[in-house]
Amino acid sequence: MNDILSSVPSDIPSIMDEAPAVGPLPPVVVPPVNRFTLSNGLPVVTIRREVAPIVSAALMIRSGAGAEPSELAGVASLTSEMLDEGAGDRDALAFADALERLGADLWLGSGRDGSQLSVQAPRETFFDALDLAGDVLTRPRLTQPDWERVLADRRTGVVQRRDQPESVVNVVSDRLLFGDDHPYGHPVEGFTRTLERLSLDDIHDIHKAYWQPSNAFLVVAGTFDEPALRARLERALGPWTWHAPERKRVVPPLPKRPRLCIVDRPGAPQSVVRLVAPGVDRLSPDRPGLAMLNAVLGGSFTSRLNFNLREKHGYTYGAASSFSFMRHPGGFAARASVFAESTAPSVREMLAELAGLHERPVTAEEHAKARATLLMRVAEGLSTTGGIAATFGELGLYGLPLDEPNRFVAALEATTADDLRSLAARHVDPEAACIVIVGDRVAIEGPLRDLGLPAAVIRDPDGDAI
Amino acid sequence: MMPPVRAPMPKIEFETYALANGLTVILHQDRSSPLVAVDLWYHVGSKDESPGRTGFAHLFEHLMFMGSRHAPYPAFDAIMESWGGHNNGTTSNDRTNYYEIGPRNLLETFLWLEADRLATLPDVITDEELERQRKVVQNERRQSYENRPYGASELAVPDAMYPAAHPYHWPTIGSHEDLEAATVADVRAFFDRFYRPSNASLVVAGDIDLSATRGLIDRFFGWQPARPRPDRPPAPAPVKLAADVARTLTDRVQLPRLRLAWHSPGLFAAGDAELDLAAHVLGGGKSSRLYRALVFDGRIAQDAFAYQGSLLLGSLFHVGATAKPDHGLPEISGRIEAELARFAEQGPTDDELERARNTHLADFYKGLDHLQTRADLLNHYHYLLGTPDGVDRDVERYRAATPASVRDAFARVLAGKRLTLETLPEAKTA
Repeated sequence: MNDILSSVPSDIPSIMDEAPAVGPLPPVVVPPVNRFTLSNGLPVVTIRREVAPIVSAALMIRSGAGAEPSELAGVASLTSEMLDEGAGDRDALAFADALERLGADLWLGSGRDGSQLSVQAPRETFFDALDLAGDVLTRPRLTQPDWERVLADRRTGVVQRRDQPESVVNVVSDRLLFGDDHPYGHPVEGFTRTLERLSLDDIHDIHKAYWQPSNAFLVVAGTFDEPALRARLERALGPWTWHAPERKRVVPPLPKRPRLCIVDRPGAPQSVVRLVAPGVDRLSPDRPGLAMLNAVLGGSFTSRLNFNLREKHGYTYGAASSFSFMRHPGGFAARASVFAESTAPSVREMLAELAGLHERPVTAEEHAKARATLLMRVAEGLSTTGGIAATFGELGLYGLPLDEPNRFVAALEATTADDLRSLAARHVDPEAACIVIVGDRVAIEGPLRDLGLPAAVIRDPDGDAI
Repeated sequence: MMPPVRAPMPKIEFETYALANGLTVILHQDRSSPLVAVDLWYHVGSKDESPGRTGFAHLFEHLMFMGSRHAPYPAFDAIMESWGGHNNGTTSNDRTNYYEIGPRNLLETFLWLEADRLATLPDVITDEELERQRKVVQNERRQSYENRPYGASELAVPDAMYPAAHPYHWPTIGSHEDLEAATVADVRAFFDRFYRPSNASLVVAGDIDLSATRGLIDRFFGWQPARPRPDRPPAPAPVKLAADVARTLTDRVQLPRLRLAWHSPGLFAAGDAELDLAAHVLGGGKSSRLYRALVFDGRIAQDAFAYQGSLLLGSLFHVGATAKPDHGLPEISGRIEAELARFAEQGPTDDELERARNTHLADFYKGLDHLQTRADLLNHYHYLLGTPDGVDRDVERYRAATPASVRDAFARVLAGKRLTLETLPEAKTA
């Protein structure tokens, strides 16, 4: 009896036999940009996209948590968050209400290398939203009661971070990889002990040093009338005044890393595993090739790491890797959340895949996949208004030329499989990796020792020694 | 300034037709970038699972990537990624979708891959493949719920809100026990019942030639035999809780959280849009009522939320907050009660409603900028309304809401019995 299979047709036409031939990849078309400067020196780039009736703006500030003193960790992002807690004629609630009336999103925040004010609004209200953004930049209120509220929320948020194993592994692996004196050694949100030291005076200091047009770059993308946009930008942002540039931080050498670190999470059903090692900076000529190499290793579904840990072994819902291309050399990371019982075999396989880039060099097929994947990622990044603003905003953040997307595309096309093999030899070293695991120590420590790993360094969820 | 609510409506241009075998086709051209998106919905979700096999629709979604007769594992992913395409699938209570995004030269490949697995999947599915994906899904459950703060509370809601026989009684991710019980025979039977052209709708969107695309769809899907739409049990009667339900969980968290839930009107039913707007007024932003009362002014909570979780057979309206250190759930609960009662009595102000509506519509427009979101929306409207032409009707629901209609819809929900779910920090072991 075979009626259960009745749904498979018996006569399948021959057109189904073979995968269709695939024609050449379409060229990646980078949209044309307009560039001008406001009277206060703020450089502006505009790009049109007219699919949906919206406009996105990204104002990039070239200072973020990486520029703040380590002992004041959290101050850059708190400064960003404070800027819309009342501005101009409106207190914090009235300001939020005004944005909602316009259907506008205004987002303020900081990352490692920069801070950002983003505005996204319907075409009909975008110019009014710009006026509100202008108030944020030129007339933030920065009052003591708002500061106390925002700081209290942040302090609770930093306590809640301990609940989130993915956040904990970020904090601990950055501390171990970069060290406490490095711009990237502390979390953007700060620690309880650094937040305790902060006052509203620190916010004023950081605001003055970071948030000024000499340190900024603006991108506007979407549906707008260019002459009207220029006039409204001048009106909204022209009064924003220029100060002396901020001081740069000293970047110390990376510290010696432990081989293995465990953050105990008793009873955890999964271990969050992270392998970290030194990487390269945003301006490195190796960046296009390393992005391609990463697509092979852990930057695509069919990557070696995901295929091994997820598809072959079922240890995880997904394994991945990435290079962080930042102002100062960032990190390389391989990551997976794995079934607690599979922790040691997962670490073994992750290390084996790093070594595997040397033992089983990148094949022609993998090279072709990496090239197509990265090219189409550029195309997809440029296929939404927000994506266009983010793509060009990142160029402004790092002071890169506006034809960088074209150069990146050309570099991807020129990178050979041999280039990927030599990049792997220079940049991927399983012995250099520091293995950080947030998991049930009692359950995982023995099997990890049996892998031949040295005794684990034990840290708490903030990365402090216990 | 013209508020978004009165701005001209954006359109999603499309054409739609059905193949002789019942497959609905929807084409949407957008040549702004050299990309195509294929979005294929099967009208089956966790609501269609059998007792003892919870999580099966989602597990099945994973097995759809395990190869078909002409594209054996791992060809589905390998072929498209080799040309810069990527794909995924998602399963909800109500439906399963599969989508591919990539350069326009991959369109034929995408259609061939989708057609081959619709025609031949049961040919090739094995115990080994089932076993592998079972482990992947169990790890997904651990990652998304069990090892995530407050994840357990999300799993507890459907269990408490729906009787055991109701199709929404279990979460989409299922239980470990049921996932472990699934067999290859279950896979074949599920495929046979639900994976039919007549139970699917296909959107092709992006940089396409309309006539050539019709030809490709006909070539790969047109030959597949017609089979009737699957039989479905009649929709269950709307659920009402007979009495208030209270549950308490412990979790690996620092701070206690309160969650409340009520039954509410289903997706697109009268009151559904009003409850979206009510949720925004209550918990949508800095000056929303709950955020203001508990977080901004009250400073007794770290966060506060409200949302209408819209589903086909009936929705749930959710409210909740997480206590700040040194504050407890009774204090949180009292403050929430007061705000909800006031809102049920007075409704939103004109300004609150205007803000909620503008925010909702602006978010909707932003979604329209993204090709695959547009493709998925066309399928969504086809599934719910019987036509992809749903933008105007959808938006009109929000335009038509008044302070009185929002108040009334919310008051009806609040008058029902509720779930009170507390998540408490695990006791620290010394």
